[in-house]
Amino acid sequence: MSSFFSTENIAFALQVLMIIVSLFIVFHKKNFTIIILISVFSLLAATLYTMNQAPDVAIAEVAIGAAIIPLIYVISISRQREYIVLDKSRHGFIDPDEVLEGVVYDILNEFVQTYDLNLNVCCDIEGSEEDLTKELNVDLIIDYDLENDHYTLKGKASSTLMSKLKRLTANHPSITVVTFKDGDSID
Amino acid sequence: MLVGILYVFSLSMFDLEVIYNDFGKQYFLANGLNETGSMNLVTGIYLDYRLFDSLFEAGILLIAVSGVMWISQHNIQEKNATFMIDKQKTPELFVTFSRLLYPLMLMFGFYVIINGHTSPGGGFQGGAIVATAILILYYIDISKTIDVGLILTIEKILFMLLIIIGGISYFTTDGHIFTNFINDPSSKEIYLITLNVLIGIKVALGLTAIFTAFLKEGR
Repeated sequence: MSSFFSTENIAFALQVLMIIVSLFIVFHKKNFTIIILISVFSLLAATLYTMNQAPDVAIAEVAIGAAIIPLIYVISISRQREYIVLDKSRHGFIDPDEVLEGVVYDILNEFVQTYDLNLNVCCDIEGSEEDLTKELNVDLIIDYDLENDHYTLKGKASSTLMSKLKRLTANHPSITVVTFKDGDSID
Repeated sequence: MLVGILYVFSLSMFDLEVIYNDFGKQYFLANGLNETGSMNLVTGIYLDYRLFDSLFEAGILLIAVSGVMWISQHNIQEKNATFMIDKQKTPELFVTFSRLLYPLMLMFGFYVIINGHTSPGGGFQGGAIVATAILILYYIDISKTIDVGLILTIEKILFMLLIIIGGISYFTTDGHIFTNFINDPSSKEIYLITLNVLIGIKVALGLTAIFTAFLKEGR
């Protein structure tokens, strides 16, 4: 029994486990599960380093591979799932300090839930639309015309989400969706 | 090209005995502690025999941090910007555990840095642990912001300091640059601890700066 749990057998089992985990990393579909598997892979590698008498490398592997890299991945992926909306009008629409309501908000909420994103609304950022979409990754800019009670939604033409938003708002008379080419202003 | 590489590799397979000998290992085992004053021979190698390589490794991290800063910079005024998602609260369980873990991780990181010459670890490993501890702060309070430009400036100063301390040995020893400047074997540890602490702080600041840049991206 003692020979079954010898160092060589444990190392062999860990190596087989590493191959299995790496295959799961490649073929798994859910991003956050993959991040957990990456840190599991790093821990297995660190254990093997320790068994091969390299504790220095093992500490570096644990600190970098099992803590910092998953944290950075989590941040990047949650940024990717954000849908950033800039409210330029602040009239009849969203105020971050108050309850969110209005026609546009209902549409956006439905839209965001369809594509599994997180809505992130902000306001009060100065700058031209071109700069905002290019440098700050703002996905959508909302303008409001007071006289005609008309909303204008602007976004990058290269974003596939914009065409889907256009289809969604087709039968709302008070909303138009405008797209402009990257780097070009609609004016 | 792949076939060519394989062919060259198969040719060199027969000369492995010549390439992979243990002369170096025997030398380090016999003279390492005496010449570098380090119980941990890995530290002895990267801070004494091969300090030149370590300086460039530190430089690579500095360049990486500068590159990330340069890519993520923008000149739009966003002082009054309020974001909805910033108002979402982190779960209480996360916050409580982070508060519990934060001092312990900081202490372990500095332990690994300062004892780098006697036990496994060293500047880079300890710095990574300290950086992880600082990153935990974001779970406690997400609105806390760090001035990234200041971090980069401190990191540059630390890198200059590393090169200067490495260069002192040119005057104290007979012309050897980038090695230990203390000749007395019993007090060589001072040099190792100093360099480990410098490298540790530099790595911790660098990783924190990269992480902050990722967090601020799109803000």
